[in-house]
Amino acid sequence: MGRSQLRYLALVGAVLMVVAACGSTSSGPAAKQVKVGLVTDIGGLNDKSFNHLAYVGLQKAIADFNVKGEVTESKTGDDYVPNLTNFASKNYDLVIGVGFLMQEAVGKVSGSFPKVHFAIIDGAGTDASGKDLQHSNVQSLFFKEQDAGAMVGVIAGMLEKNKKAPGNTNVISAVGGVSIPPVNHYIAGFKWAATMEDPGIKVLIGYSNNFTDPAKCKSVAQSQIGQKSEILFQVAGGCGLGVLQAAGQAKVYSIGVDADQKDADASVIASALKKVDQATYTAIKNVVNNQFQGGALTFSIANNGAGYSLDNIQLPSDIQAELDKVQAAIKAGSMTPPADIPA
Amino acid sequence: MSAITDILQLLVTANLWQVAMVSAVLLLLPALGGVISERSGVVNIAMEGMMLTGAFFAVWADLNWHSPWIAVLVAMIAGGLMALIHAVVSIRFRADQIVSGIAINIFAAGLTVYLVRTIYGLQDVGHVVPAEALPTWDVPLLSAIPFIGKVVFQQNVVVYIALIVLVLVEIVLFRTRLGLRIRAVGEHPQAADTAGLNVYVIRYGAVITSGLLSGLAGAFLAIGVSNTFVPNMTDGRGYIALAAMIFGKWTPRGAFVACIIFGLGEAIYANNSTIHVSQYLLSMLPYLITLVVLAGLVGRSTPPAADGIPYAAGSE
Repeated sequence: MGRSQLRYLALVGAVLMVVAACGSTSSGPAAKQVKVGLVTDIGGLNDKSFNHLAYVGLQKAIADFNVKGEVTESKTGDDYVPNLTNFASKNYDLVIGVGFLMQEAVGKVSGSFPKVHFAIIDGAGTDASGKDLQHSNVQSLFFKEQDAGAMVGVIAGMLEKNKKAPGNTNVISAVGGVSIPPVNHYIAGFKWAATMEDPGIKVLIGYSNNFTDPAKCKSVAQSQIGQKSEILFQVAGGCGLGVLQAAGQAKVYSIGVDADQKDADASVIASALKKVDQATYTAIKNVVNNQFQGGALTFSIANNGAGYSLDNIQLPSDIQAELDKVQAAIKAGSMTPPADIPA
Repeated sequence: MSAITDILQLLVTANLWQVAMVSAVLLLLPALGGVISERSGVVNIAMEGMMLTGAFFAVWADLNWHSPWIAVLVAMIAGGLMALIHAVVSIRFRADQIVSGIAINIFAAGLTVYLVRTIYGLQDVGHVVPAEALPTWDVPLLSAIPFIGKVVFQQNVVVYIALIVLVLVEIVLFRTRLGLRIRAVGEHPQAADTAGLNVYVIRYGAVITSGLLSGLAGAFLAIGVSNTFVPNMTDGRGYIALAAMIFGKWTPRGAFVACIIFGLGEAIYANNSTIHVSQYLLSMLPYLITLVVLAGLVGRSTPPAADGIPYAAGSE
């Protein structure tokens, strides 16, 4: 066999591997049923975060409504358009894009397939400049991450104010993945609530510029711990697992994000929850019931689409009481955590 | 310019250099692998894939057998096997080495996700408990030295291993008969063959060694730093290691200097919570430094003469 033939063989092999790696999961019988296609962003289904939760919501919908669900994982940002187009061109009833990073792709593909319903987690269907195209076949599933951020901010602020933190340094911090709205909403609520509980508190905010590499977030966390931070809030998906590790090593506290991250490390005292599973489920339910509506659907504490979980420490009862009070106030609308990080 | 004073103040803290050291070692191990492989005449851009494979198998083995050392062994074997594929394709079948390298990187990305899915389903891969992770070890006495002690002697065991490997590779390549043979095979395989050296055996050995070192780097990343596996967690380190190798003119010490610069850049970036400048500007820093150093100080970087050219015995 010649050299050039081998070269092609290697290429073909590489392509086959990619195809194999993009394997999909299907379930349910093929009766006349609603078909739902889910496209993950580059985080993939094992991101222990929102892609995973979207999948959980899809599974629940499959069980409850007997819909047909297929999942495609995106390997790179270039895969978004083809992956969405693939489902849309097969006349799926609902195509769900997971994540802010897919905004432009959803905007483009939803324009080409006006009869297909689209839903996007954490974003809208936009043009290249990020402007919402307001396609009537796109439902935007937004979250008030600031609500969840505020709840864990209350915990951090109260621990510092009551001198119940590991070293009582009065410094806490957040590690964001990339500085994008869903991330900054969390941080905004966190800082706002912590400062409300303890006005003298110092809140450090750093970014890892990454969502998949725990080592990068660990470095950011270590630098913050070096600046005396002792309660670290991770807002960086899989990358943020490094924050939890760094906190564990330094014997300080950490706070998980999106899903309950209690089991990731003993240092996790609470998690800020964003119920992507519920949003995905709701979007599918609406299509099944013929109640699909374009435009924005927002999930927050008010409709139980955001919240918190308490993890590896026992909170003093006064902190629990404060949490209940703030949660009730946010629910009632008398308190509104900001979407932008306070100065 | 408060940003510059911020950075200057940072540069005198041991904390920064301690973090930089870890980032540097994660690049150094694959870079040394690259140096060995390319010195023998086989272009190797597959360190990324070998490292990622090592990272996955380290976590898998550690969760199964609860020993970081067994995990390191398994990771190195996994990296070595990926390297063996590259070696067979590029030495035995004389295929294009760049294509083979790219194929391995793509293959590794797919393989690890596939294995995660098959073994763990959509659940958590699981977290390696600190007691079963690669340990941090303070070297007695030396770790008490101010500054240097914290930076060099209060580190993960893999950092010490990497520094020893660095010295070994430098000595073997440039001070021993074996090193002379490796370099001869990479510069002029026909002459080396005529002189009675087995070109194939030396190249196979060099490529597989690069896989072992990349696998070790993957294990360090997964069970020394992160304590879990996340798909694509190597995040391009194999490619940056490649740049470090070229920057270092295919010498271990040169690659080490490059890795320290990259590692330092990463560590400075990690302090973006306290440096008063756009985090985006900050993230460019290591690469800006690289460009300046490459253009100004390093100058022309020439690979081994037979690098990337498959060898066929008897041909000219």
